[in-house]
Amino acid sequence: MIRLLLSHQWKESKRSSVWQKNLAINLVLGFLMLILLLYVVLLGFFMRELIEAIKPGADPIAAVNAGLLYYFLLDLAMRFFLQELPVLSVQPYLHLPIRKSKLVNFVLWKSITSIFNFLPLLLFIPFALKELPEVYGVAGAWSWVAGLFLLTLVNNFLTLYFKRLMVEKPLLSYGFLLLVIALATADYLGYISVGKVSGVFFNALGAAPIWVMVPLALLAVVYYMNFQFLIAHTYPEEMRVRQASKVGDNAEIGFLQRFGELGTLIGLELKLIMRHKRPKSTTMMSVFFLAYGFIFYGQEIYTNGFAMLIFPGIFMTGFMMMSYGQFVPGWQSAHFDALLTKRLSPYTFYLSKFWMFVPACTLAYLITLLYGLMPEIGGKIVAINTACFLYNIGINTFVVLFMSTYNKKRIDLSKSASFNWQGVGASQFIMMLPTLILPILIYLPFGLMDQPWWGIAAIGLLGVLGFIFHRQLMGVVVQRFQREKYRIAAGFRQA
Amino acid sequence: MIEVRELQKNYNGVTVVDIPALTVQKGETIGLVGNNGAGKTTFFRMILDLIRPTRGEVFSKGENVSSTEDWKQYTGSHLDEGFLIDFLTPEEYFNFIGKLNGLTSGDVQAFMDRFRDFFNGEILEQRKYIRDFSKGNQKKVGVAAAVMSDPELLILDEPFANLDPSSQIRLKNLLKDLKRQGMTMLISSHDLSHVIEVCDRIVLLEKGKVVEDMKTSETTLQQLENYFTV
Repeated sequence: MIRLLLSHQWKESKRSSVWQKNLAINLVLGFLMLILLLYVVLLGFFMRELIEAIKPGADPIAAVNAGLLYYFLLDLAMRFFLQELPVLSVQPYLHLPIRKSKLVNFVLWKSITSIFNFLPLLLFIPFALKELPEVYGVAGAWSWVAGLFLLTLVNNFLTLYFKRLMVEKPLLSYGFLLLVIALATADYLGYISVGKVSGVFFNALGAAPIWVMVPLALLAVVYYMNFQFLIAHTYPEEMRVRQASKVGDNAEIGFLQRFGELGTLIGLELKLIMRHKRPKSTTMMSVFFLAYGFIFYGQEIYTNGFAMLIFPGIFMTGFMMMSYGQFVPGWQSAHFDALLTKRLSPYTFYLSKFWMFVPACTLAYLITLLYGLMPEIGGKIVAINTACFLYNIGINTFVVLFMSTYNKKRIDLSKSASFNWQGVGASQFIMMLPTLILPILIYLPFGLMDQPWWGIAAIGLLGVLGFIFHRQLMGVVVQRFQREKYRIAAGFRQA
Repeated sequence: MIEVRELQKNYNGVTVVDIPALTVQKGETIGLVGNNGAGKTTFFRMILDLIRPTRGEVFSKGENVSSTEDWKQYTGSHLDEGFLIDFLTPEEYFNFIGKLNGLTSGDVQAFMDRFRDFFNGEILEQRKYIRDFSKGNQKKVGVAAAVMSDPELLILDEPFANLDPSSQIRLKNLLKDLKRQGMTMLISSHDLSHVIEVCDRIVLLEKGKVVEDMKTSETTLQQLENYFTV
């Protein structure tokens, strides 16, 4: 039975449209993933050297042992926000003659396949194999790893349990959160030492394998808790982690109403962003990117030149537009047919996007003006960012909108935000080239002629020209859209 | 009103719609019937310029639907949930459609009042997003939005599906009213008696081809039932 369920799962992921459609994208993503995992392994392999570099003279093994419990707390926090619950997949089986306990066990076992559970293995096995046998012996090293893995699984099931409980009894979950915070505070103030406990425990794990029983018992307890909870709540509407959507009053933004059809469309899109997780977090993310400049502005190798300042300028003033705009019109894939058949011209549709991007860039630009307060380089940064801002609203808006006509992947807005590759296609990667590299190419000849300020002026001027002729540029975008709309609509209709 | 010339749509070498000629006069109400896969929805999508025909054209009031957008001004349509904006409340959705059609919020309010009966107290003031409604209620929202701007041409794909019996009868009455006002309609349905009652012409599709095109009369139901009996 379990084998049959597993084969269905395998088919589900193998036949999901994301996999089947674009081999190239999957190769690129797979490659990136592999590199990331490789880094993790390398990190584990050179952990000793790293610790010695950071804290000379410390015993690396003792340091790792002391830090592990903190690591697990961090891991728990991260999972809480990022890990998905593999639950709804059992829905098609609930009415079939399969024992509920079997399904629940299946769901719980399936959760083990989450990448979160394998990262610590990749990180700590190299370390354990390289360093531990000398101290604990081979058996000790393996029992150390086993204890680690079991604790990872404890975290896995704790996350599942509390995430689900959050819906049922939010207070309990918050209580748990408070407990963790209180623990951290007590540790910080020196009342207790998580580090010491951690050190003693993991050392014991290596020295006496019998200690593996502790995480094993913990695991059994949380597994049983999950099992009991799920078996009592096998109804799809109870398993789903989704709060009933609260609907406030019909808040129309009065200010937007003054702009007629454009305002209506922008209002619609703002609602789309506010009422769905993924577009909301995409937009929120761009707030963090406003701090991106600090990476560059603090270092003289960058601030002495110009070319390396154009990059953060474009990025910061345009990130909100680019991160949201790269999936236009995919955000609206669920009601794309409506947009095509209702009384609405594609030109207005795209113009509303343009007038959404311009204020977004302006807002970001106004905030980046704060960098002007930096001593010495402040003036230069403001000048460059101004040029980049103009370029963003004049040229990059159209690059983003033009590339949007290549988006043919449906985005299901009911799906969560993290690790969601839905809607990612080649156009997202290609878009980066003209938006980020073109302004630097424009600057380059001036820079080589030793006239950097003229180069910056050229970028700004081009932006102003683009903005003045935005109707004409929009015409080009709409023309392409008219040709592509059938293919886009067909793509969006495929679930 | 609508003229179809040499219309064909192929998918991977399989012809799903093949209509050499079909004309719909102004004020005519046409019922499109046919088993699953007969090409009804694909045909509607081509009339609404959502799918590019492999061959041939659709003309609305003499203009090719794929080269102008004038038809959007006088065409109301609802095919499936893709025509709804599911993260809005029904009120917000009606207001949105109303604004696109140049209606004032007073007009929209008046429209909603007129449909109160049809909605049966399940649509308005529910403080729910459209995505949280049942299929049947979603359909009511879509159909109402389609007729909201008093279009000259109305295209509905299986409007009776998923509706409860009372709502089906209310919808039937609504459509008959609209017909009396002279609205041109294209309605597909699997419910033969409903569609015959509303429409004065029945077009029967089979594997993309028109196999029957007749005025409704007393014997139509019998004829259709004979055709569909296996």
